[in-house]
Amino acid sequence: MNVLNSVSKSSGNSFPIFQESGVEWIQEVYMEMTVTKALLIALWVAIAESRILGYASLTLRFSPLMTGLVCGIVMGNVSQAMMISATIQLIYMGSVAAGGTLPSEPAIATAIAVPVGLLGNLKPAEAVAIAVPIGLLGSYLYQLRFFFNTFVTKLMDEGAREGNEKKLFFSIMVIPTIISILLFTPLIFVTLYFGAPIVAELVTKLSSGLAFHVLNVVGGGLAALGIAIILHIIGKKQLLLFFFLGYFLSVSLKPLEINTVTYAIFGAIAAGLYIVFTTKDNK
Amino acid sequence: MSEKEYIKRFTDSEGMIHADESVMQKKENFPEKITEKDLLVAYSRWWWANEVPHTYDRMLAPSFLFGMIPILKKLYKDPAMKAESYQRHLLFFNTQCNWGGGTLTGIAASLEEERAKSLAKAEGKSAIDVKMINNTKVGLMGPLAGIGDAIDSGTVQYIIIAILLPLSQAGNPLGALLTFLIFVSLTFAYGLAFTRLGYKLGRNAAKEIMTGTKMKQIMDSLGVLGLFMMGVLSSQYVKVSSSLKFSVQGKEFVIQQILDKILPGLLPLLTVMGLYFFFEKKGLKITKGMFLLTAVLIILALLRIL
Repeated sequence: MNVLNSVSKSSGNSFPIFQESGVEWIQEVYMEMTVTKALLIALWVAIAESRILGYASLTLRFSPLMTGLVCGIVMGNVSQAMMISATIQLIYMGSVAAGGTLPSEPAIATAIAVPVGLLGNLKPAEAVAIAVPIGLLGSYLYQLRFFFNTFVTKLMDEGAREGNEKKLFFSIMVIPTIISILLFTPLIFVTLYFGAPIVAELVTKLSSGLAFHVLNVVGGGLAALGIAIILHIIGKKQLLLFFFLGYFLSVSLKPLEINTVTYAIFGAIAAGLYIVFTTKDNK
Repeated sequence: MSEKEYIKRFTDSEGMIHADESVMQKKENFPEKITEKDLLVAYSRWWWANEVPHTYDRMLAPSFLFGMIPILKKLYKDPAMKAESYQRHLLFFNTQCNWGGGTLTGIAASLEEERAKSLAKAEGKSAIDVKMINNTKVGLMGPLAGIGDAIDSGTVQYIIIAILLPLSQAGNPLGALLTFLIFVSLTFAYGLAFTRLGYKLGRNAAKEIMTGTKMKQIMDSLGVLGLFMMGVLSSQYVKVSSSLKFSVQGKEFVIQQILDKILPGLLPLLTVMGLYFFFEKKGLKITKGMFLLTAVLIILALLRIL
């Protein structure tokens, strides 16, 4: 499989790691990466990122170990893969110096770094560094997933309104999973099969572009919708003052980094005071 | 008359259902008892759905509903009552899986059960109010998530990883498998324990509320806490800021900095309140509100105003 040659040579990328080590290793690495292997690893990552394995997906997404094991099985070298994953784990735990930025999606970084580490002669830390742009794109895809899911809520609302459990299952579980698999599989597959430089170049182009900016803005603003709905439904008008109290306390005390539990105590005190001041003294 | 048509009779122009509570008094509509097994099923379903349908606007509410479905089905045999209960658990909700979601699944199950039971006994006036159920969820979801995230993902996960890491370092696949299995089963186990605990707490609290004379006060204080926490969460979740800047005669004006000088947090609040007044004026037209908001945000982002 030598698809990489023409591609990697032509890509003028902006990530120094590629310029330093040149393209030779990439050719060597991807010679042993087959379509099946790349697809299997890509599907595994897509499943982890889709969260379809429930709360278990939390540790699949944030710890490199299981993804490392899967890569080892697919690539046929479990023992070496585990050692590389252990080092990646140490990097993420901060026990080993990362040497630069860490990729934002550990599972994605591992899916790239372990095969590269197995096939090439790169050290785990170097292999992780390669995954930085892919992790970045991955975390954007994770947000894109929320965005697409937001449009599925219409179907969920319909299911609830009709009391239709089948429709609810389909819209809550099936469609979001399909969305994630469609988003993540190509990213990992392309990276593994054609090489990280291609994706790196894409990220450079995209991240400065409008697309990411628009996604960020829409993502940041859409939460207002859910909050407005719940205010409309549970909010007693005369109690709306307490919404503003919570909001402005939280905005103005932001630099103090007060945690939510403390805010809940403030809220409970406000509730207690409200009762004290509104209850007529019956004693 | 089909079930769909029947439900439609109670659906308002906004698509929200206001079912006839008196049907609960009919014998065939009596609620079933919630068992330990029901709690296990509900918690498992919530655990499974957890972050699958994560959306920007409802966050994890669909997963919460997905967990509650079997319980709501046992409690509300009337199709309109059932659909109405589905709707109230599909509102904005976000929390951590076992500390938050487990506890709140238990509490919601008990409150729904007590409500269904009083409706069946024609004690409608003293029944748990649906707003109370929502306010309890909204008031507790944030702080429980804070505790859960710190303990689960921040501590428990890393303790297990750290203890078993030597296995992985020696190239042993058990290093990955054991870490995974122990984390998953341990967190599942205490999440289930929290569900049961939440159920007991909720049931005792509900009994006290319904027999006591403090119903209104408890309702109000939950309302205050719920709205206060929604305010806090709004400031954390809603991110709207201007990226507009221009310079006149070499003097640079950054709009967001000027806005922050006037009132920090102005734009996110305007967005929430704009939608709130849209719903107050036009009714709860959720889809319309969503497309409107998305369109405005996209246009303003393209113009680099936001």
